[in-house]
Order: sequence, then C-alpha cells, then structure tokens
Amino acid sequence: MNRLRIALTKGRLQEESVALFERMGLDCTQVKNPGRRLVHSVSNYPLDIVLAKAPDVVTYVEHGVCDLGIVGKDTILEMGRSFYEVLDLGFGRCRFALAVRDGEDFYGTYKTRRIATKYPAVARAFFADKGMDVSVIKIEGSVELAPLLGLADAIVDLVETGATLRENGLVPIEDIHQISARLIVNTASMKLYKPEILDFVGKCERALEETK
Amino acid sequence: MKPFSVSTPEGTKDLLYSDCLARRGVQAALGSLFRRRGYSEIITPEVEYYDLFLQSGNPLPQEAMRKLVDQSGKILVMRPDNTAPIARICASRLQSANLPLRLYYSQTVFRSGSANRGRNSEIAQCGVELIGAPGRRADLEMVATAVQALEACGVSDFRIELGHAGFFRALAAQLDLDEEAYERLRGAVEGKNFASLEELLDSYGKLPAAAALRKLSMLFGGAEVLDEARSLFDGGEAREALDLLAWLYKELSAAGMENRVQFDLGLVHQLEYYTGVVFRGYAAGAGSVVLSGGRYDNLMASFGRPAPATGFAVDVDAVAGCLAPPEPPVPDTVVHYAPECLRGALRLADSMPPGACQLSPYENPEESVALAGEKGAKCVVFLDNGTVREVKL
Repeated sequence: MNRLRIALTKGRLQEESVALFERMGLDCTQVKNPGRRLVHSVSNYPLDIVLAKAPDVVTYVEHGVCDLGIVGKDTILEMGRSFYEVLDLGFGRCRFALAVRDGEDFYGTYKTRRIATKYPAVARAFFADKGMDVSVIKIEGSVELAPLLGLADAIVDLVETGATLRENGLVPIEDIHQISARLIVNTASMKLYKPEILDFVGKCERALEETK
Repeated sequence: MKPFSVSTPEGTKDLLYSDCLARRGVQAALGSLFRRRGYSEIITPEVEYYDLFLQSGNPLPQEAMRKLVDQSGKILVMRPDNTAPIARICASRLQSANLPLRLYYSQTVFRSGSANRGRNSEIAQCGVELIGAPGRRADLEMVATAVQALEACGVSDFRIELGHAGFFRALAAQLDLDEEAYERLRGAVEGKNFASLEELLDSYGKLPAAAALRKLSMLFGGAEVLDEARSLFDGGEAREALDLLAWLYKELSAAGMENRVQFDLGLVHQLEYYTGVVFRGYAAGAGSVVLSGGRYDNLMASFGRPAPATGFAVDVDAVAGCLAPPEPPVPDTVVHYAPECLRGALRLADSMPPGACQLSPYENPEESVALAGEKGAKCVVFLDNGTVREVKL
C-alpha cells in the first residue's frame, strides 16, 4: 500500500483529529509526543502526519505534497478550493456571524457600512449575495476591537458561544455559515491512490458513526 | 537598486539548464506525436480582444484574465486559453477550409489572481484540436492520442480518466432544479462533497436519479463503475453516455491501453462548455491535473460556424516535473585558436555533440586552460598556424 500523508490543523482541531484517529485504531504515539520531529508516522497504518496552520493545510493539499488534510470549513470558505471535500467530521463546530454594537441599527442607513474581519472573502461574498456594497477591512488580531474603536460598523467573525462578543458589547445579528472540521483530499491522490484513500475515509466514517 | 529589478513578477519564473531542457523535451515529444497524427501547428497572438473570450462562453472568471487596454480604448487580454483563438481562426481565416481540421499549438496561457499560492501565472500548454469531426470515432482517437501523449513524454505512472457531461445532465434533469440549485449540486459533485450532496438531495427521497446522484461522487475507478452507474440510472442521455464510455473502454483495451484508462462519472467541471466525453490526465508526482480535454460541440457555433469539436491540452511543466531531470551535456573540449584558424575551430566544434565543445574567448592560452578546468572539460585543443595540439587535463 502506498503510504498516505495527512496535514492536521494545529491546535484544537489537532486534538480532536488525534482522538478520532485513536477511535479508528491508529497508533498516535508519535504525534502525541512530537519532540522536534516534524513528520509523525503511524506505526500500525500506512499514514504520516504533519501539523500545520489552517491555511497551510489547504496549500499543502492543493499542491499534492499532502494527500489528505483536516481543516475548518471557515478556512475552506475563505481560501476557495481545488480539492475534494469528502467528509464533515462534525467537530470544531462554530459559525460565521455578523455582529454589531448592541443597539446599533446596522441596515437602517444609506451610508456604506464598514466591516472588520479576518475573513475578507467570506464577508464580501455574504454582502454580495445581499446585493449590498460594503467596505471590508482586514484585521489580523481581535476583530471585536474594531467597532469599539470606531473603525468599523460591524464584524464578520467566527462565533462559538458568543461570550467574547457579549463581553465587548457586541451582539450577533445574523448567522452566515455553519462551520465544522472537514476531511479534504488532493484530486490527483484520490484518483491515483483510490483504494488507500477510500480505506482511510471508510475508517473515518465508521468511527464517526459509532460515536454519534 | 530598484526593489523589483532582480525578481520576476509573481507567478513567473526563469527556466535554466535542466528545467529548460525538460520543457523543450516535452514540447518536442508532443509536437512530434501530433505531427505524426496529421496535426498542423499554428501560432496565435499573445494578446487578443477580450470580446473573443466573452463570445466563446469561456468559463474563466474575468479576474483570472490579464487585461490591457489598446490605444483606441479596446480591452485586450493576455491569451488565457488556446481553444477560443483556434475556434476564431476556423470560423474566419479558415472558413472555406474543408472539415475536419487538425490543429495543434505549443504556447503559453496567462492567468492572474493566484498571488502567493505558488501557482504559475504563465502556463506552457501543448495541445490539439480536431474541429469538424463528430461521433465516437473522433472521441476514441482523441483519448488514444492523450494516452500516447503522456507515453511519448516518458511519464511512467499515469492514468487518463474519462467522464461524460451527459450523465450528470441526465440525472439533474430529473430533479427540476433552478439555476442556483443546479450549480450547488454540480459543485458538490465536482468537489466530491459527500455531506453537502446528501443535504442537497434530502428532499428528493427515493427518486432513482437522486439515489444515483448521491452515489455519483463515488463513481470513479475502473470500468466496473460503468456497470454500477448503469444499475443506478439508465435512461435517455445517461444510457447514451454510458454506452459511449463502455465502447471507448472496449476499443482502448483492444489497443492495449486498458491499464491507462479509468473513469469518473463525477467529472462535471465546465459543464456549460463540454458537451460529451471529458477526460483528464493524472501522473504520479504531479499534485494536479497534467492533461485536460473533451468534446465541445457548441463552441464553434458561437463564432458563426457550427461544427463538432474535441481536443485536449497538456500542462507541459507539470509533465516535465514528473520526469527524471534531463542530463545536461558534459563539457569535453575547450578550443583555443588563433583568429586565422577560425574555420578549423568551428569545424572541430561542429564535429562534437552539442554542449561537448566550446571555443575559448581568451587570447592567453593559460586562461583557456583555466577555463577548461572550471568547466570540467577533459582537454584543451590548441589551433595555431595549421598545427593542432591537444592537452589532456
């Protein structure tokens, strides 16, 4: 069997992914004790694991240097896609929402609204769908700060519980997209290594079914 | 130093030595094959009017095309695609030429909008178009030529994957979808997005077409997927599509190509453009498609000369990337010559394989010897007053 390589998104998705792999019966000793190693092999299954930031997972899979990847739907929506998105893994759930300062009448003005976000493509597509012309401003850190400082009229951001928003006097007024972790596959790998890929995908599906 | 004086623009690159040899090697192998199959090479301008690509119904989004404005204010684009210019020629300059026409090209297409994603904005393509040949014989020849194209380049592990635009169209027609829902469904099939496919088809219950669509993204692999597809849905255009693919497989197998061919009935990219058989090439070592083509029977009509057509393009550098890098020529001899011995020096250089010999630009013999040492040549030949002296290093 050809050995597959998978890129996992570092952080919380990584923990949940590893937990899923263990339910699939994969030996994850190496990836749980990474040390200085960058490529972690699974001893009882033909799979190597690398850890990467979310956008890099998409890049590695698109270029085919990783056959598979686990990444949030948020990153997929923002970056576009040229790969197969085969499974909704169900963890890492949150949503994209539009949030404004409490009491603000966001839509009741003819003025061009200014939107702060880490996800400019998602924000543009959302307002383009509404036929609404907005000005999008990209913020790298805590997006909640922008409306407080008067830089933006609203934010488009990932919301899990809404606690951070409330603490900063913001309220979500519209949901844009539900988000969860996805299993993605490089198009050429899918075609050239079908048995290996489908074996892995099947194992994933069964493990997800069992824990439902 | 100006900040951009030493780098090349985003998405472009210089090709040196073995990279350059590799690209030229692939182009030579393809050109030779295409000429043996009766195709004539044509060269079209690097810039064309934007209208050409609007008229062709080109599926490229406008932001993917590099635009310029000419002196009279007309919008030009750097050639984003090789097929539309060829359709333009067949409908204009070649309008009185008898069909079918066999044309091939080896030229760059230009794209924009992939900043920082490591994609090339200049893509060297080499491909064929067979204009005015209807029917399955032309499809068969085209797929066989695609197989031979990758073989001719020396790609060892590759697959040509066939699909048919009609299979998905027949299934989707059963569902009575509006344009937006159709596009969402197509996107889910193309992306093999199992989860969203389930969701989109939820309301169609047990309709056979819906059941087949749910499985469509998994219908890829060997010839067995054709039988599986037939058991799921076998009506109208779907049956014609499956019959054609099965016939192609039979004939390609008889020609010894069965290990090169596989199928994906979920190959539903550019459905507004492709009308029949579509195919793609995958090669081990290349993370994306290395060859892409299919039947496009509606394109010629948009230029006023309706004609069936089929063709494919090879991504030259993607193919070159899966080959072992070509060996650069080994330097062997440096020729140090007196100016009156020029003729003899040139004759000596011509008698050796390309790259094995170079003339020394120096007057001082010691510099010529040093040059030979630096280049790794094995000897220096001195030509002076009719005497020839060879010094081994």
